[in-house]
Amino acid sequence: MFKFQDFDGKILALRAEMTAPVARIVTTRMPSVPEPIRLFYVTNVFRYSQSYLKREREFCQAGVELVGCNTPEADGEILALLISSLQKVGLKEVRIDLGNASLLKDLLDTAGLNEQQKGSLQNLLSCRDSVNLKKFMEQNDFPSKLREAFLQLSCCRKLDEVTSISLNASKYDKANKHLGSLLELQEILVDYDIEDMVFFDFSLTKKIGYYTGMVFEASVPNLGLPLGGGGRYDKFIEKFGKLKLPATGFALEIGKLLQALMAQGFEIPEETKAKVIVSSKFRNTAVEAVKLLREAGVIASLEVTRRNLEKTMEYGKFVGTDYVVSVGSSLKNPVTVYDIKSNVSRSVMLETFLREIGGQS
Amino acid sequence: MKKKIRIAIPNKGRLKQPAIKLLERAGIEILEEERTYVSRTSDPRFEAIFARAYDIPVYVQYGAVDLGITGHDLILERDADVLELLDLEFGKCTLVVAVPETSTINAVNEIPALTRVATEFPNLARKYFEENEMQVEVLEVSGTSELAPKLGLAQIIVDISSSGETLRKNNLRVIASILGSTTRLACNKIAYRTFEKEITELLARLRGGL
Repeated sequence: MFKFQDFDGKILALRAEMTAPVARIVTTRMPSVPEPIRLFYVTNVFRYSQSYLKREREFCQAGVELVGCNTPEADGEILALLISSLQKVGLKEVRIDLGNASLLKDLLDTAGLNEQQKGSLQNLLSCRDSVNLKKFMEQNDFPSKLREAFLQLSCCRKLDEVTSISLNASKYDKANKHLGSLLELQEILVDYDIEDMVFFDFSLTKKIGYYTGMVFEASVPNLGLPLGGGGRYDKFIEKFGKLKLPATGFALEIGKLLQALMAQGFEIPEETKAKVIVSSKFRNTAVEAVKLLREAGVIASLEVTRRNLEKTMEYGKFVGTDYVVSVGSSLKNPVTVYDIKSNVSRSVMLETFLREIGGQS
Repeated sequence: MKKKIRIAIPNKGRLKQPAIKLLERAGIEILEEERTYVSRTSDPRFEAIFARAYDIPVYVQYGAVDLGITGHDLILERDADVLELLDLEFGKCTLVVAVPETSTINAVNEIPALTRVATEFPNLARKYFEENEMQVEVLEVSGTSELAPKLGLAQIIVDISSSGETLRKNNLRVIASILGSTTRLACNKIAYRTFEKEITELLARLRGGL
């Protein structure tokens, strides 16, 4: 986080993400708003990024939060909204990889490992190193049931594949509850018809520690970095005040979406609006012409420099203008239109010209 | 058409030949001269890119390539967020702290404050000295750091050593080891998801060739 000092010595920081600010707003400004509360944002956040490609520190993020509800239906809505948002911007082959933050945590607790061992196990899981995972579990005397569950879970790729995992002992109650919630979520995904796009990833652990339920990342095959992600955070909002509110949401990085679109062959459409400079000795007619052009949706500007037509044309060429329009004392008479690209001029009524370049007048 | 899986191979140095040979044993023969940017391979699903071993961790992290063969030490030095799928077991080396043979320093805790340290591994060196609560001045050089003490540029160096030969030739003595390293198969996190089937198969073949 970027931190600095205010004049009175207080520490100020630039926001690195929006979930914390949203939690603060919900607690302090919306205490009596009925739940669930659905919020969205599109804003800039500031982070030190490791990128060796660009020295970006400011990122534009778009995100949503669904506050005050802890049902799988709320999680399903967030995932469905995430997928439709990505499809709406034009991305193809979108996929979500989803894990459960508490499932891994509770299983690690049952295994009775210390913090360092937990770290190395998590590392083995996220590196998909099944050979060393087996070794590690043998060395640390994992009960055979737990050992099997870890190996099976790291092989599951769809949410409903977790049905095969059996951990029937009371010490696994919590873990079983999380497995059940994954199955429930899968049913909701089927209702939304998005189950083919959502995959299970046992090892997915976000660096942000506040997640308590599902955690997920969105990606497309053409870009090697996640487009965004999110999850459920049921114990986070209470840190900002008295309200104990469960919540779930996601954030997308707009820059990454653009990169992904480009990688999929998307081209930013060219500006279709015509650009016109109006030049005249008769200021009142010129002002009127500019007004008419702008009302018709044309990008029009008035020549304000009092330079001659030739200079205006040169300038127009440089800044990418399409036409220079020279008007006389009245718009009842034809105007002279200079086409900058073809260097051809002609005399035409302003209305006719507007119709030709696709203005709405 | 389906995207090919790109695998980055060191373009020079001691990791290059063993990497090419290992891939060959796993059924991926490089068909084109490495001067080309992208080389075809005998397996149509894969193509090879030759790049600096030092840059490969970053290429992999940002998905410029899907897989990369490079040193564990370099992955750590570049702090790259990648999957290390397999220890390829060659290119064994140790990152060490070394001083001139004539130096009176025999251990890390004897290094005086503000000593200049020349290294190609500034991040790992800084981290190491910070963890040992020592204040040194890390000087980044891009090669032949073993010359630095001779030239009076630095009093000690942090560099990799495999046989210790280069250090001995330059009259340098190891006083501490920072970490051991071997060559790894690094993988982009998203690529692992996209190409899981192909990558799992490649892993099995690479294990067979080790």
